[in-house]
Amino acid sequence: MAVDVEERPAAPPSAEAPARPQPFRPSILGWILRLVVWAGVAWVVLVFPLGREAFEVQQYAQAVIYGIIGLSLNVLLGYVGQISLGHQAFVGIGAFTAAYAVSEQGQSVWVAVAVAAAVGGLQALILGGASLRITGLYFALVTLAYGLVAERNIFQIEELTGGGQGQPAPKPNGFESDWRYYYLCLAFLAVIMWIDWRMMRTKSGRAMLALRENPRVASTFGVNVKLLQLFAFVVSGAFAGVGGALLAFNDTFVSPETWDFNLALIFVIMTVVGGLRSRVGVVIGSAFFALIGYLLDKFTFIQDGLNAIPGAPDLTPEIAPLVIGPILLLLTLVFFPGGIGQQIRPIQRWLGGKRFDLKDRGLKEVQISDVRA
Amino acid sequence: MTWVKERQGALVTAGILVAVVVILLATGEKESLVIGVITGSAYGLLALGLVLIYKSSGVFNFAQGEFGTVAVYTLYLLHFEVSYGFALLGALAAAVVFGVLVERIVVRPLFDAPRVTVLVATAGVALLSIGVEIWFGEATVRPVDRSFPTLDRFTVLGVNISDQRLLLLGALVGLAILLALFFNRTNLGLAILGASQEPTATELMGISVKRLSTIVWALAALLGGLAGVLAVPEGGGFTPGVLTTGFLIPAFTAAVLGGMNSLPGAFLGGVIVGVVEAVATSAPIFEDIPGTPGTLLVFAVLLVVLIIRPQGLLGKAA
Repeated sequence: MAVDVEERPAAPPSAEAPARPQPFRPSILGWILRLVVWAGVAWVVLVFPLGREAFEVQQYAQAVIYGIIGLSLNVLLGYVGQISLGHQAFVGIGAFTAAYAVSEQGQSVWVAVAVAAAVGGLQALILGGASLRITGLYFALVTLAYGLVAERNIFQIEELTGGGQGQPAPKPNGFESDWRYYYLCLAFLAVIMWIDWRMMRTKSGRAMLALRENPRVASTFGVNVKLLQLFAFVVSGAFAGVGGALLAFNDTFVSPETWDFNLALIFVIMTVVGGLRSRVGVVIGSAFFALIGYLLDKFTFIQDGLNAIPGAPDLTPEIAPLVIGPILLLLTLVFFPGGIGQQIRPIQRWLGGKRFDLKDRGLKEVQISDVRA
Repeated sequence: MTWVKERQGALVTAGILVAVVVILLATGEKESLVIGVITGSAYGLLALGLVLIYKSSGVFNFAQGEFGTVAVYTLYLLHFEVSYGFALLGALAAAVVFGVLVERIVVRPLFDAPRVTVLVATAGVALLSIGVEIWFGEATVRPVDRSFPTLDRFTVLGVNISDQRLLLLGALVGLAILLALFFNRTNLGLAILGASQEPTATELMGISVKRLSTIVWALAALLGGLAGVLAVPEGGGFTPGVLTTGFLIPAFTAAVLGGMNSLPGAFLGGVIVGVVEAVATSAPIFEDIPGTPGTLLVFAVLLVVLIIRPQGLLGKAA
């Protein structure tokens, strides 16, 4: 038998080997269609908010900032599989730090954002250093309790929060007009997305994904599980600090009342509904939750439909996320574990010049269940 | 020596309790002791439900507080129509129905999902419940009646003990003992423990694990409901999500402190957390802490327990 193999002449690799399937290339029409859709997306993001009323532009800017906050939770929840139920504390402390730096210390806005990011990272370092040795359910509990401490103790420090009336945070020089500030937020979002993307392409980024899958196996391959979890928590805290700082300047003042348990859960919900580990999905999900109230105002038929429920008062913009969010969360957890990110994946691939394939939902196991107890 | 080793947790607990009592009496904070035990029994009652669910399904139930709030709302609404006793029964029934619904709609579809997924889902249930309460009820403070109007039947160490508080403490002690007996002595209790450890083997013994899960959630909801209707009237009034914002974290701390799988531990932990909070509120050395010092101290207790003794005082190490 062995002889047989030896005698067979080695086939020249190029000539007789079956032609490899050509990589899919869209036709001219396909390219044009894709370009049109790209232009549409760009129009919605860049042009549509122009010339709207200040109040509306502020809402769009908030949607962009929520995108940053969603990405911040995604690092923790999606990449290393730990859940923070106290993320409102990180965002809130970022907001107050930035407002304090500008109003009380007279620092420039750029310094303020940098300081907010640093404080967010530092908090995560301290809290994570103390508590990440306990992971899973207990970590969730510790972060939840920390959120309450922020709400009841830290945000009661009058020098930081300016007491009951809140801390003013004027918009930065050159970005006073709402649409300019909106573009600034977009730029920050782009930078954060880029950092996130580059981070996941490094050795540490791949190690993070590995340790989420199975910490023990990862650890036998020389991955320092605790250190990477701490690193992810710090990155998440820093992103949240940036989000908080931008939120402060967007509202031009920060109130201590804003940062409660409900908000922390909305942050988690928007990230999960957006789809863990899908940057685009997370941003869309977060923006949706920031805009729920606005959408309710625009599309009055939703309100009319809800008023048909006997005894139901108006669903105000403040309450709407609290009611709609959990329902979407439960639907996502039970039926669509990949969230929006998984649903839009075929469109995303198509826009990237691939074939439109409805079955291509990305990795199958993309779900919140990646959080390990 | 083995005797000491086996009972290390209980001995440490006894030591802590004695030390706390001595310090409080010596520093003249004796009111805090009584107030702490009373608020602590509300935490303990809520913690019992948390431990019950953790013991049987390994889930942290963040909706436990809402079981109580739903009961309080039902009590408030029904009391306009019927006498207090019936309203109370209706309130507990509403809590149980809510618990069963949560189990059927949320927990059961996630039966095989990792536990943290279920945690997020129960947190979602809590938020939905709070949202609906604000939507229909507005965020105003509403008064709710006590079961018994007498406010000063006893005076212990200078604090008046109302009948309601006595009832709360009695209910906690009674329920903790009953539940411990239930898990150790009855077939159903043993089946629930079995199902939590070896679901497949339990199924093979001819026991429906899913039905057990429903029973456990109904029981936990009943405990949560009791905590709500007994503890909330003492606070004077209630707002949407009152038990989630005010009681859930101390109750979790109590459960963790006592040991997540120990029912007597939940009771003890509740009392200790209550005393810590009461001392933090009244003792002069904590005056400089901004806001409510109790929250910070409870957080500190939680962190210290998790770092030094993660299995809790009376819990068994996993």
